Formats: sequence, C-alpha cells, structure tokens
Amino acid sequence: MSEVRPALDAPSAPPDRGAVISLRDVWFTYPRGEGPALRGVSLDVGAGERLGILGPNGGGKSTFLKLALGLLRPQQGVIEVLGLSPAEAARRRLIGYVPQRVEAELSFPITARHAASMAANLGLGAWESAKRNRARVDRMLDLVGAMSFAQTPVGELSGGQLQRVMIARALAGEPRILLLDEPTVGIDPSGQRQFSELLQRLHQELKLTTVVVSHDLRTVAATSDRVACLAQTLHYHDSPTGLTPAVLAEVFRHDAAAIFGDLHVDAHRASECAHDHGAGHDTRAPAPGRQADGSRTSAGGTS
Amino acid sequence: MNTWNYLTDPALRSLFWPPLVAGLSIALFGGALSIFVVLKRMAFIGQGISHAAFGGIGVAYVLGLGGAASPAGYAGQLGIVFVFCLLAAMQVGFLTSDRATRAGRGGTQSDTAIGIVLVASMALGSLLLHQAERLGRAPTVSWESLLFGSIVSVTWNDAWASLLVACVVLGAIIAVRRPLMFWAFDEHAAAGFGVPVQRLRLMLLILLALATVTAMRLAGVVLATAMLVLPAAAAVQFARDARGAAVLTMVFAVVGVLAGVVLSFEFDVPTGASIVLTLATIFGVGWTRARLSRG
Repeated sequence: MSEVRPALDAPSAPPDRGAVISLRDVWFTYPRGEGPALRGVSLDVGAGERLGILGPNGGGKSTFLKLALGLLRPQQGVIEVLGLSPAEAARRRLIGYVPQRVEAELSFPITARHAASMAANLGLGAWESAKRNRARVDRMLDLVGAMSFAQTPVGELSGGQLQRVMIARALAGEPRILLLDEPTVGIDPSGQRQFSELLQRLHQELKLTTVVVSHDLRTVAATSDRVACLAQTLHYHDSPTGLTPAVLAEVFRHDAAAIFGDLHVDAHRASECAHDHGAGHDTRAPAPGRQADGSRTSAGGTS
Repeated sequence: MNTWNYLTDPALRSLFWPPLVAGLSIALFGGALSIFVVLKRMAFIGQGISHAAFGGIGVAYVLGLGGAASPAGYAGQLGIVFVFCLLAAMQVGFLTSDRATRAGRGGTQSDTAIGIVLVASMALGSLLLHQAERLGRAPTVSWESLLFGSIVSVTWNDAWASLLVACVVLGAIIAVRRPLMFWAFDEHAAAGFGVPVQRLRLMLLILLALATVTAMRLAGVVLATAMLVLPAAAAVQFARDARGAAVLTMVFAVVGVLAGVVLSFEFDVPTGASIVLTLATIFGVGWTRARLSRG
C-alpha cells in the first residue's frame, strides 16, 4: 500500500463524462514557483461521491481547489466540471464553495442571514427583490443549524457558527458540488465532530458531491468515502481505511509512524464510524475508479 | 443668521445654492462609496488617490488650465486631475490586490507603496504649483483652499458636475450592488462563486477617483477622502444590519454636509473641516455608545 502508484489513466485520455469533476494530466506551476505545484494529476470525482483531498502544506491542495473553481488555469491538461470549464461552472453557481476563512471586515453589521444569501442572490436581476430567495436561504440555515442566530451580525459569531453560515451560503445557491477548504482549521475537537456529523446529514439530505480539502487526517477520514493524497502528484487514492502510516509517511515526507501513529488509529475509527452512520455510499453508483465492492481499479498520478 | 440671509436674500442666493447642491451630491456618492470603502478596508487607498489629485492640480496649473472658467477649461482641469487620480488608483489597487500578493508584492509593501504615491504626488503638486507661479499662472485660489476646500470656490459648474457624478456612482452601485457587496464582504469566496472580482475592483477604483476629483473642490484634497470613509464608519457604530448601515450612512453623510455648509456660513470656517468634524463627532458618539453598551 505504501508504494506511489503510477497513473493508470492515460494522461491523454478524454475526461470521464460520468464524473462531475475530471482532471486529466493537469500541470500547474506558479510564476515564481520553484517547481510545479501540480504534476500530471489525473482524478475523477463521481456524482454523489464524498472525496477527501489530503496532503501536506505546499502539496498542491489549494492549487487543486483554485483550478477546480476556475481561479487558475492549468498550463497543461484538462479540467472539466460537469462537462464545463471550471470558470463557467462557477459562473453558473454549480459549485458551492466554503472557504477556509472569511476575509471580511467583520465589524461591519452583516447578519448571518444576509451573508448566507449572498451566493443565491447573485442570480437575481438588479431590480428583483431578494425576498424571492428568502425561503431557500432560511431552509439552508435551518439545515445547517444556523437558524437560531440568523439575525446575529457575523462579527459576533464563533468560528463554528460562522462556518455553518458559510456552508448555508454555499448550499443556498443550489450547487451540484460542495467544495470545502480546510473546514476544521481553528475548530475544537467537539466542533470538528459536529462538523463531520453535519456533513453526513447534508449528504444524506441533498445527495451532493462533496470534496473536502484538508491537511487533517481525521477530518478527511470522517467526512470522505474516498481519499486522494496530494503532494504535487496524486499518491494514494482509495478508502480512508487504507491510509497506513507508511502511506502517510510517503505523502507527508515524515516518519508518519511517529507523527501519525495515534492519529492513524483515530482516523481509522473516524472513518469506520462515519460509514457505520450510513453515509449512503452503498446506495449510490460506485465512484469512478472503484468497483461496486469497493475495490480499486485505477489511481491517478504520474510519479 | 447668515444662513437664513443667504437663503432669502436674492443677491446672496447664488452664493449659497451651488455649494449646497454640490455638497448634497457629494454626500450621496461619498456615502454610497464609503460603505464599500469601510467594508473592504480601502480607506488608505482613498488617501493615496486623493493626494494624487494634488499632483494633477499642479499639472493643470502649469498647462494654464488651473483657473479656467470656461466649461472646456473646467472639463480639461477636471480631466487632468481625474487621470492622475485614476493612475494612482490603478497603482495602489494593483498593489493591494490578491494578484500582487501572489506575485510577492503585497502585505506591508503595498502600504509602503501607497505611502510613496501619496507623498510623491503631494511633492509633485507643490513643485508644479511653484512652477506655475513662475510662469504667471499662479493659482487663483489659496493653497489652503486646495488642501482643505473652500465654499466660495464652488461654482454652478462644480454643482452640476457633482450632481452628474452622483447619478453615475449611484447608478453603477445599484446595478451591481449584489456582486459588489459579496466581493467587498468576502473577495476570495466571491471569486469562487464566479463573481468578476478584478472587474469590480477596477470599477470601484474608477468610481473612487471620480468621487475624489469631484469632492475635492468643496472638501479639499486632504479632506475629500474623509467623505469616502466617515459616513459608513459612523453608521457601523449604530446599525445592526447592512440595510440599517446603508440608510444611516446616507443620513449621516447628508447631515454632515448640511451641518458643515451651515457652520461654514455661520462662523466663516472652512467647509471641508466643518463637514469632517461633524461626521467625526457622530462617529465618536456612536463609538462611545457602542463601547458603553457592551459594558
């Protein structure tokens, strides 16, 4: 399990039309970067799948995210989101994006409800009333457990509450894909557990494709059916239960047995626990690259 | 009651109405822009833009357009100052954008760059105004008026230009208020939802340059920026939601300008300073009230 898997998808192969997000031999180098941030990454995310992107800082997770949102364009390779360019998919609000942090001036009195409505209201004409979206926004606030503080200014919310509002904002735009960037950074263990439960509930209710990008093993294990380990290239690409210390050592380039020993056990438990809760993946079509029995058939990456 | 005399005396009315119309127009567009300046923390960018105007004034005087009374000369003068402000806006806007940060030119370096644009423009303006004096094109108004504004320098040209700019700024903001608000609140996330963040940033910088040039005659180079910050900064101290903040911003901006103009006529004090101090007082009251209510 510890070996770096070769790319089984031919780099020049066309995107998988069944995949909601498809990367084919994607390369990206920043103008002042020392080397490629991503090297020949090929990856498919299936409809309704819960994928975790795990990797060290500087491993290309954020680059993957920006490429999937159309904020960057690959120098080589193809990315499609629901058959469209990522920028077009973002414009059509097919992706619900939950950033790691809010960059706003939080002393400005914007209520949680107003913040949650911002993505949905982009679809309104200049003269249309925002009341049209009110019921949908409130439903999403209710779904994420944020209704009780809907009228509270965002500057007065805790980190966990603000994150729920950001998830409601992403969902209120009625996306097909939910993309979360480092969702548990700065949240205490209790909040992290609540977050995992919330994502499971959302997945059961909305059947959205969910991609969680994180450097935190427990978060990824507890929220994903499949994990893709990214450190410039795609390394491991399978169930979170197979993330052994040897695999993690390879991805994080450390003695993972020392730094991840306990975490690995925790992550394994979190993953099994998540699946016991009925994440619903046995009711869906198998994710691309997996057979119905869960065995792996392909893994991207070129190194 | 000087103000009453100016309102009722037919001979004095022509001195009162241009600054009032210009002032209320500035209140409308300054107030509307201040919401986004405060939300986006762009007050320092506004300072850089307004000080660049001083360099533009210097160029206008050297070219002999400084005291031009004809509509063409007036438009030429405003045009030169606007170009200067726009160039400064583009420069500081780029230096404070995410793109600059990615390219390694962001953070504290952008603050330094804005500071340099600010003082270099002031220095250039000073140099060129001295040069204009040598060329016999000395400013028809005092330096104090250029820096801090003067109510007597406001003409009907200024009033109509202010009204036009108010229509342009308010129209643009209303048309794109939703993506603009999303961008100002959370630029990174807005980009992820397909909001054209670079275009919105550019639009806001152009509107800021336009507003600064227009507000300059009444409030002066130094104080013009205050109209783009103080109304919303004061409103935030009182409001509980964005709609309330927007309404209070416009109310405070109008109250500030009316109070400033009246104080200026009553006590013969600079208009710009009166407006700014009125708004600063409202801000101070709100800030104290907010701190006391939190215990």
